[in-house]
Amino acid sequence: MTSTAITKKRFNLFSGFRPSPRFVRGVDLAGQWAAPIMILVVMVIAAIVAPAFFNPINLKTVAIQVAVLGVVTIGQTLVLLNRSIDMSVSAVLALGAVIVVQTEGGSSIVSSLVLAIAIAALIGLANGLLVAKRHVPPFVATFGMLVFVGGARLAYTKGQASGTVPDFLRTISIKPIGFIPAALLVWLIVNAIVIFTLRYTRLGRWVYAVGGNPGAARYAGINVDWVLISAHIACSVLAILGGLLLSGYIGYVDLRMGADYNMNSIAAAVVGGTTFTGGRGNMFGTAAGVILLIMLLNLVVVLGLPIHWQYAMQGAVLVLATALQGFRQFLLSR
Amino acid sequence: MAMTYEDTQKSAVPRWQRGVTFARNNAAILLIYLFIFLLIGTGSFFSDRFLTASNLINIMRQSIVLGLLAIGQTAVLLTGGMDISQEMVARLVGLIVATLFAATGSNPMMILPLLLLGTTIGVALGLVNGLLITRTHAVPFIITFGVSFLLRGINLAISTTPIRGIPDAYLTIYDSKIGIVPVNVIVMALVWLIAWFFTTRSRLGRNIYAVGGSERIAKLSAIRVNRTLVWAYVLSSVFAALAGLFLLARTGVGDPNAAQGMTFQAIVAAAVGGISLYGGRGSIFGTLGGVLLLTLLSNFFNLMQINIFYQQLLLGAIVLVAVSAYKSKDLGAL
Repeated sequence: MTSTAITKKRFNLFSGFRPSPRFVRGVDLAGQWAAPIMILVVMVIAAIVAPAFFNPINLKTVAIQVAVLGVVTIGQTLVLLNRSIDMSVSAVLALGAVIVVQTEGGSSIVSSLVLAIAIAALIGLANGLLVAKRHVPPFVATFGMLVFVGGARLAYTKGQASGTVPDFLRTISIKPIGFIPAALLVWLIVNAIVIFTLRYTRLGRWVYAVGGNPGAARYAGINVDWVLISAHIACSVLAILGGLLLSGYIGYVDLRMGADYNMNSIAAAVVGGTTFTGGRGNMFGTAAGVILLIMLLNLVVVLGLPIHWQYAMQGAVLVLATALQGFRQFLLSR
Repeated sequence: MAMTYEDTQKSAVPRWQRGVTFARNNAAILLIYLFIFLLIGTGSFFSDRFLTASNLINIMRQSIVLGLLAIGQTAVLLTGGMDISQEMVARLVGLIVATLFAATGSNPMMILPLLLLGTTIGVALGLVNGLLITRTHAVPFIITFGVSFLLRGINLAISTTPIRGIPDAYLTIYDSKIGIVPVNVIVMALVWLIAWFFTTRSRLGRNIYAVGGSERIAKLSAIRVNRTLVWAYVLSSVFAALAGLFLLARTGVGDPNAAQGMTFQAIVAAAVGGISLYGGRGSIFGTLGGVLLLTLLSNFFNLMQINIFYQQLLLGAIVLVAVSAYKSKDLGAL
């Protein structure tokens, strides 16, 4: 008699909450498939309330926006897979566009491209070193970098909008290839390269190993710090690429360019099934998350709502997705 | 031989070594006050207007908004979390209160109810943050980041232009003085004292440290972890709401751009002052030092007439140097 009383009162972490295996599996599947399912739902809703969404001109806009955000989000996902985060993508993205546009006059496009990519790699290296070697919390390190790089851009441009965008950037961004704009092709190529790297190369498997359990990865002989640093470098370089596509699309570079890309890239990656605790997530989910987010933001425009509802939309998507992924991770790891 | 009370007080460690231990354990705080004295020294060297009574009192008054935000942020940082939504909470409270003042025809009788309303909004938003974080086990800074975007959308929906119609009686919060010392500076000094008392002497304050040190051990010590976390976020939002109410008295209009970038400054002030970004370590005096340092710096920049573009660059550089200077394992204080 007494023994049953004791076992009933046995002390237990998180006592009182015992989800069934079926519930856990359901939440796991929901976390993985939330983005594709929501894309279909949003498409149906769009077909009913806003048929103008499926206008070919609008679809082309959506495609270019998907490509720009998609390229940036691939980098963000790589960093998130390593249990880190990059808040500096928006500043890096804008800085790259400024460098290419301002140094283009006279000299060849190649040298300014190389310069932009080299600076991005340096910023990524600095981020990675801060996080991996100095153990600064990733959010604070990269947010400091955001303020620093933003300040550097302001000091460089004195706050003025820059000149015309080179033809080369217009070409890789909005020139139609068959039915699709070139930017979408760029996104697909980057996706293919990253998916191949993550699946079939040693570095790719290391990324998942480090994200899943850094301690175990270290004991397995993986250089954990350098995997993390190379993810940060890749993220910054991809952010620059996103910046080039974006400046080619909008045709000029100004002070406010790309300010929302931190928020959007994190939200899209998380909606697509990447968790903040690392090692879970893939590029197909990320692609679905990007498409979903851009569709939602575009619907705000198509429906003629005030533009600030885009902010509320981004916030709501991020909160809901984070809550879902956090709960999923909690259930899976207990 | 029996140990007497005096014997237990005499340590085997020599006095100078205890001094070294003390310095090592409080390195962050000692460093920051050293920097403050250095900055005051340099400031009085470069500008004879810097070290005047009116400028010093002005600096204290300027530090109030950042101080309020940093006290709230400290509570959250000590639990190992982070509250990104502070500036949007401050802005929302300012906008709502200003709108209601305008709607009631600048009636001075409305001041007290509206102050209470503003604080209540802070409590409610803190509860939203805290409950979302504890119920879904999601990463705190992402949840609050999402909430801040949601609030940003709501803020823009309320107004995109400054709201007039604040009664003159409300502005006395900022203006009224005893002698040459503003009342609000005296009140703020009391708030810092209460904050110190809260973090070192109250049960909730100690629980916050315990939860930040190790959630698991806190739970095993029968501390209600979730309740403590929710309290921390409520405190953070309430202090943000107070900052919003104070800003309203300072500017005299409901400003849709109020408190721009202040959240990050609050985090930096706490981090520079030795509050561990991993939670559980640090003292409120460090936060006070960080707040004074940042306010002195911006005052110094303005007196030296440094271009605003370079100010951001310098702030970013200082942040990056400061966060990378402390390594979490090296210094006891951080």
